[in-house]
Amino acid sequence: MFGRLVRESFVRNPRRKLLTAAALVVGMAVATSTLTIALEVGDRLAREFRSLGANLLVTSQSDTLPVEIGGVDYRPVNEGAYLSEADLGKLKTIFWRHNVLGFTPFLDVPTLVLGSTVTSTTLIGTWYQHDVPVPDGTKFKTGVSVTHPWWKIRGRWFRDDAGEAVIGAALAAKDPDSFAVGKRIQVRRADDADSARTLVITGIASTGDAEDNGILVPLSFAQGYSGHEGQFRQLFISALTKPADTFSERDPLKMTPTEYDRWFCSPYISSIGFQIKTVLPGTDVRTIRRVADTEGNILSRVGTLLWIVTLAALAAAGLAVAATSATTVLERRGEIGVMKALGASNMLVAGIFLAEQLLLAVVGASIGFVVGAVLARGLGASIFGTPASPRLILFPVVLGLAAIVALAGSLIPLRRAAHFNPAPILRGE
Amino acid sequence: MATLVQVDDLRKEFGNVRALAGVSFSVEAGEWIAIMGPSGSGKTTLINILGGLDMPTAGQAVVDGVDVARLDEAGLTRFRAQKIGFVFQQFHLVPYLTALENVMLAQYFHSTTDEKEAQQALERVGLGDRVEHLPGALSGGEQQRVAVARALINHPKLILADEPTGNLDEANEETIIQLFKELHQEGHTILMVTHDPSIGNLADRRIEFAHGRLVKVTPSNDTSRNAYR
Amino acid sequence: MFWRLLWKLLRGSGGRLAVAILSLVSCAMVVSALLNLEFDIEHKLTQEFRMLGANILVSPGNAQISGSGTAEVMNENEVSAAIAASKEPAVVAAAPFLYVVASAGKTPVVVAGTKLEELSKLEPAWRIEGDWNSSHDLPASCLVGRNVARKLLLAVGSPLRLTYLNESAQFTVAGIVDAGGTEDNQVFVGLAEAQSLTKLPGKISLAQLSVSGTSNSISKYAARLAAALPAYEVRPIRQITEAEGDLLNRIRLLIVSMVVLILVLTALCVLGTMAALAMERRQDVGLMKALGGSIGRIVALFMAEIGVLGAAGGFVGAILGVELSRWMGQRVFGTAISSRWEIFPLTIVLMVAVALAGALPLRLLGKVKPAVIFRGE
Repeated sequence: MFGRLVRESFVRNPRRKLLTAAALVVGMAVATSTLTIALEVGDRLAREFRSLGANLLVTSQSDTLPVEIGGVDYRPVNEGAYLSEADLGKLKTIFWRHNVLGFTPFLDVPTLVLGSTVTSTTLIGTWYQHDVPVPDGTKFKTGVSVTHPWWKIRGRWFRDDAGEAVIGAALAAKDPDSFAVGKRIQVRRADDADSARTLVITGIASTGDAEDNGILVPLSFAQGYSGHEGQFRQLFISALTKPADTFSERDPLKMTPTEYDRWFCSPYISSIGFQIKTVLPGTDVRTIRRVADTEGNILSRVGTLLWIVTLAALAAAGLAVAATSATTVLERRGEIGVMKALGASNMLVAGIFLAEQLLLAVVGASIGFVVGAVLARGLGASIFGTPASPRLILFPVVLGLAAIVALAGSLIPLRRAAHFNPAPILRGE
Repeated sequence: MATLVQVDDLRKEFGNVRALAGVSFSVEAGEWIAIMGPSGSGKTTLINILGGLDMPTAGQAVVDGVDVARLDEAGLTRFRAQKIGFVFQQFHLVPYLTALENVMLAQYFHSTTDEKEAQQALERVGLGDRVEHLPGALSGGEQQRVAVARALINHPKLILADEPTGNLDEANEETIIQLFKELHQEGHTILMVTHDPSIGNLADRRIEFAHGRLVKVTPSNDTSRNAYR
Repeated sequence: MFWRLLWKLLRGSGGRLAVAILSLVSCAMVVSALLNLEFDIEHKLTQEFRMLGANILVSPGNAQISGSGTAEVMNENEVSAAIAASKEPAVVAAAPFLYVVASAGKTPVVVAGTKLEELSKLEPAWRIEGDWNSSHDLPASCLVGRNVARKLLLAVGSPLRLTYLNESAQFTVAGIVDAGGTEDNQVFVGLAEAQSLTKLPGKISLAQLSVSGTSNSISKYAARLAAALPAYEVRPIRQITEAEGDLLNRIRLLIVSMVVLILVLTALCVLGTMAALAMERRQDVGLMKALGGSIGRIVALFMAEIGVLGAAGGFVGAILGVELSRWMGQRVFGTAISSRWEIFPLTIVLMVAVALAGALPLRLLGKVKPAVIFRGE
């Protein structure tokens, strides 16, 4: 009988329920979309921050002190220690391999270039978009296109195994006739007369960095040119990280096993750096503080902000649903009066109404969840360029929220209704 | 005397229910008409139509030269404001306005408010010392008296009363009836719905309804009227 | 009479309107706090971005630094005068640098002479070991990069002798830098000491500036500075300025969408309450119509009531919002968000709009047929 009463009550007079249903749908849609975005925003923004470039720098531990001014290393090529290119595929085997978005090796060789005059400059061997063989058999495409996204080019980048070069804009400006796209140039090491080689200029790069004064060539060319086949000197890595906190900065050797696990399984830059050092032995893996710290700071600030705002949105949603639930109950005072006059106990009346509100909450929240997921996709797309994917785990959360709030909203007027004297209501006052 | 109300073959249907099935009668200015009959006979419907609160399905209802059946929404609003004064069984005072403000409300919707005039109207019905009271602080009879003052404030052509004493005890009933008698003597035209024959006998004419039709029109005789004075 | 009615209406419906008022005030509070944030966040975030370090470089133009370790140089006075002249609050730090490849014993090492006190302002992300703040103005103190410290086995307090050609100078290590970049391979000394070591008094190789502001304002500043130093090259460091602008826009968009969502929700809440109110008012409306009140007038009365509520809610909420802004600023940024007076009228207008939007059910009251009321439903 109870079920029948509830069902009858629910099905009758759908127009009155429309308002509560509307509030539930809209309220839960907003709750879903704000929660979805709040959960995703950390990830999204972190990806955006990768436009700042690399956040990890790898060099050989046993290397001599680089003599670098303005980003160009002036040590003779025979000095110092190098790293092996063949090891690089291992970067995609670490626990956080999916967070390693890209890496680029560099090999600098001081050189002379023959234009209209002989100019002393640096040959910078690197990758633009290079396929790195990974131990599991796949290939990973990476290069300055990922780690230095602000580099611009007029013309095109060199092909990996060709004798092609890209001239830095500042160097090109010194001798625009010789250093133009399509021209051939001759390069020669100052300390080795037999090292002369010809390169075709395929593009002029505007990097905004010291490379504007040099000549960018494929790594393989620079390796042959300097006699360091298969080697490189510096590696820049761009990794997707989680903002650092006091926990992440601790010495892993001093952590308890549980703490260590937690640290290892979180994409802190310190733990990713640690994992990289394990697969590339003999290296010094350093966090590029400027980039990592700025990113960390801003991400954690925006994260906090977003949670505050999400809470506010949820509170507003809750209030809206509670208010409309209360309205519905107030409206139906007449029915309550009749039921009581017929001898229904307060518990029964309350039970019927609450059951009905619960049913409404479930239906409304479900629809709201779907609408909210769509809304989140749209918002994600317009703010971050890629749509936010719906998180199914939010469904029970949103459902729970709707149920609690709808019930709470009905409770207060129902309690008042318990004190109603049915007579005045039936008389029509 | 001039004809104030002329009703011709008035019909009102609510879906399948025929509330008024072709009613015709006329009312002279200054007459007190009692409209009687069992519940559901169409009395209230008739009053609502004559007062411009509802539209007939067919027929004519001319009040003071205006056929209410032909008026649009705006016309009906003006008609109600200018020509009609209502007194309801349930008083229908605004609960959060004082007696004075309730009367002024009627002035407000008509033209402009005049506190002095409203004060005088309340004095007329014997509530000069209760003008600042909220309806909650007034007895049933007093509330109805405020309603009467409100009904009169815009000098209506026609007073429509729907069981004005229905919610009152005997003592208050007498007071209200006395008030209406005075209004009648002053020359107001009154259409009153009542089920009480003793009240009906006070009227100039009794119009009886049954099943949406006019069944009997009785001019009441002088003897019974005198007995009630 | 209109205002009297209005006032009585408001008083009479107190309880019913409580939820609507509550939701209007809290919405106004959150919205005004968020709007304050929206206006201020650019300023706050660009401050954060200064952790990226220098974003404008002043160099000798034909910056061809040859392998011998010396380069074309600029006049220190000229550059610092130009910077001082165009000084704005946006310049967070400005430091001149003189680079030389000197020797520490047998090891060649890059030495940068600079204004040591400006260094920590220029590069706030550097981790410096040692009590840098108190010791940097001691004479002959220097800062060494961590790779240098490792290679030369230096610690805080160690002596360091640097030689260039025939000149020598003695320094004490006051701090060790962990920057995660080329600075780890360099030694930083006072500019005067570097200039005397290289016998290049009054000369510098480079000037680095950290300027806060939007991508646009930084470019404009760079252009102004370039005009003041026609012999040299002034350029913004693209890596940094481009990313900044983009990120800022995304974050602002995020906040605005949240504000819109919250406004919509509040309108809904008001709608809910107004529906209840409309139910209650049917009798009153029927009566007013019976008394000859026109729909327009009645609806206008109710709209005015809601408008007043919206304005009052907006006002109170905006005041509370100032306090909320302060709290939010502390929690998120560690410093208070400055409140703008323009937010007050903006919040009030928004709340009135939201209230009126939510008051739609009251408009439908206009359609109530008086006869329906008096039939006793």
